[in-house]
Amino acid sequence: MVAYKRQFYPGTTSPAKNRRRYMDPKINLKKLRDVSMDDVVRLMGHRNPGEAYKSIHPPIEEGKEPDCPIRKLVTPIDGAKHGDRVRYIQFTDSVYFAPISPYQRAWMYLSRYRGLDTGTLSGRQIIEMRERDLEKLAKELIDDETFDPALTGIRGATVHGHACRLDEHGLMFDAWQRYVWDADKKEVVYVKDQVAIPLDRKIYVGKPASMSDLKKRTTIFRADGVDMRDDKEVTMYGLRIHKLRTLGGFQPFKFKGE
Amino acid sequence: MAGKAKEKLFMEACKKKFKEDPTDMETKYYCYGGWKQSKSKVEFQKSADAIAKKRGVPMMNEDIGVPLGQRLMMPYQLSHTDIYVEADDLHCINNPAIQQAWDDIRRTILVGLDSPHATIEKRLGKEVTPETINTYLESVNHTMPGGAIVQEHMAECNPALVADSYVKVFSGDDELIDEIDPRFVIDINKLFPKEQAKQLKQAIGKTLTQAVRVPTMVGRLMDGATVSRHAAMQISMAFISAYKLAAGEAAIADFAYAAKHQSINMGTMMPARRARGPNEPGGIPFGFFADMVQSDRVYPDDPGRAVLETVGLGAAVFDQIYLGGYMSGGVGFTQYASATYTDNILEDYVYHAIDTIKDKYGGFCKLDPKNYDELLKLGDDINSYALEMYERYPAVMETHFGGSQRATVAAAATGVAGAMATGIADCGLNCWYLSMLQHKERTGRLGFYGFDLQDQCGSANSFAYRSDEGLPMEVRGPNYPNYAMNVGHLSGYSGIPKAAHVARGDAFTANPFIRVAFADPSLVFDFANVTKEIGRGGLREFVPAGERTAVIKG
Repeated sequence: MVAYKRQFYPGTTSPAKNRRRYMDPKINLKKLRDVSMDDVVRLMGHRNPGEAYKSIHPPIEEGKEPDCPIRKLVTPIDGAKHGDRVRYIQFTDSVYFAPISPYQRAWMYLSRYRGLDTGTLSGRQIIEMRERDLEKLAKELIDDETFDPALTGIRGATVHGHACRLDEHGLMFDAWQRYVWDADKKEVVYVKDQVAIPLDRKIYVGKPASMSDLKKRTTIFRADGVDMRDDKEVTMYGLRIHKLRTLGGFQPFKFKGE
Repeated sequence: MAGKAKEKLFMEACKKKFKEDPTDMETKYYCYGGWKQSKSKVEFQKSADAIAKKRGVPMMNEDIGVPLGQRLMMPYQLSHTDIYVEADDLHCINNPAIQQAWDDIRRTILVGLDSPHATIEKRLGKEVTPETINTYLESVNHTMPGGAIVQEHMAECNPALVADSYVKVFSGDDELIDEIDPRFVIDINKLFPKEQAKQLKQAIGKTLTQAVRVPTMVGRLMDGATVSRHAAMQISMAFISAYKLAAGEAAIADFAYAAKHQSINMGTMMPARRARGPNEPGGIPFGFFADMVQSDRVYPDDPGRAVLETVGLGAAVFDQIYLGGYMSGGVGFTQYASATYTDNILEDYVYHAIDTIKDKYGGFCKLDPKNYDELLKLGDDINSYALEMYERYPAVMETHFGGSQRATVAAAATGVAGAMATGIADCGLNCWYLSMLQHKERTGRLGFYGFDLQDQCGSANSFAYRSDEGLPMEVRGPNYPNYAMNVGHLSGYSGIPKAAHVARGDAFTANPFIRVAFADPSLVFDFANVTKEIGRGGLREFVPAGERTAVIKG
């Protein structure tokens, strides 16, 4: 039997290719900045840097787990082993060519990482995970190419802004102004954590990418970028799914060679 | 596909909302003075301060929580009107027109007169004539608002509180109607265009039906399930008086039985887990709802308007009141739900769809519903147009700043297109789900979590007729299992059966009796001008029924 080769996503255009790249766990995403782990912890605001992780249960090795074949099969992630709380980070992605958008985040997370729960809305995307594992993942996602300082927001609450026009510096709207434009450094700087509690010191996340660069990196199909209808394979894929689902619920006997 | 070069219908609202050109991608934020830029919020704060001082308990404080007004607090244009209001004015708690629309639906029950007349003639041996019917109608218009008629020492309702309560009749039998006192008649011939009147009279036949309006206050004080009981009691009393019957004789039970069980409620009873009786909004089928909207009666040459008015009423009753209040609770879903009936955005998409259908197929209902590939092509075209408008006009994107709003509006336009092109509501529904899948694929986002459940499996149930999976769209409603939890959808869904039937030139969507009952000019809310009425509510010009000031001193 021929080994199955994962295909990830159809299409020939740049958003389609970017979707494939982000989903493929064998591809290392480009690291574009290096925000320190302490600053990532501050941005999330769940604990202070250096503070011990809070536990909700004793380390698994100390507990008496019921005999269960699934538990034997699955290796717990580090935070689960230690009994960490489940905490979150949530990103908001602008419609204006943000590098990644909510559904691609979900697909990417589930394709690349273990031990997380994720929820997808129109503007924001939450990841919930054991705290120490979350911190590692959060740093990766803030440092890598899926994050843009101007068009990606780290927001726990009051998340709207993804569809608002950009401000005069090209930043996505945030009612809490968790991040602001540093005109001298020409960088975006966080002054509040993800639930808008003021930080005790500023956290720089770097310079925004140019719009031309973002248009190449984005996963979003847009009429003023790459229109989905210009990618025949993606268009056909969507229509086919709809047609098959429709027939499946109505006239399944009409499936022929699908 | 680029839209036609003609001016987009949403342009006026966009230009009124924002000073930048609607195509500009940039603006300024954090400079508008916060909530103080809003006239209504300033008024609210002043009022809350006075209330807090009087009651000694703190009240609303606009400075608590999120800093409101960091961007321009935009006004909203009620679609196809010149009325602009603030978002607060569209909240169902603040808007008496929205409340009255729902009150007028809830307080309506249609009760047949044929069965009680048969009882009177066959069981009691008394004659029923136009004269006795007129006498009965005088009696029931005394009892229905709360007048006593049998007992000598009875408390009655203050007429000033129940001025909106009455009973009228209608029938497809012109000869009979000619003999009824016109004050009691909903005259199909006068109210409907000739062709619609013909269809309605044929569908209704010779049966004589009462449109009963119990007082608005009854529905508010009790619930929708009370309406049939109130009507049954007062109808029975009126029969006793009009036909000089014995109050205790067994035949009287037939009148109450007919009124309670041989009647048409506006909404069906809901399952126990949702715990609502009949005549509550969750039980109203979309087809009934479409029949309540009267735009196509008054503006028969504008089928697009009829669809959009249905969507607008659906937003107010289903999304704001039912899902925002009954099901969710809390401050509600005004912002989300108002997207479908403000700023002429859905308007633009729907009229674009109508133009496309006429261009491609030569008119409505000319696309063969069996030609599924062509249906998909149409759906793809309309949906792409709608999504493209958001992308080409950032002012439109920001107006619908929630993805759920855009998902609903794009899907509604696509669904309406499918329904109008084929004349089949289920084809429209299938296009709705096509829109949802394509929207998610194109933009990498859709609405809130619930869209995954409802809209990802919708393709599969759109044509399914097995009772646990599907129903014709006309008889689906908020009570359909998958539709019970997702705000925003119900408004658009309501428009789809309406679209199919106005496109066919039908005088009604699902129920000719409901269609006629809501043509009644005595209703407080004008169901032919939904957005205008809601706008009047926002401007504080709408005068609702059921006010208690008549019994409050000073």
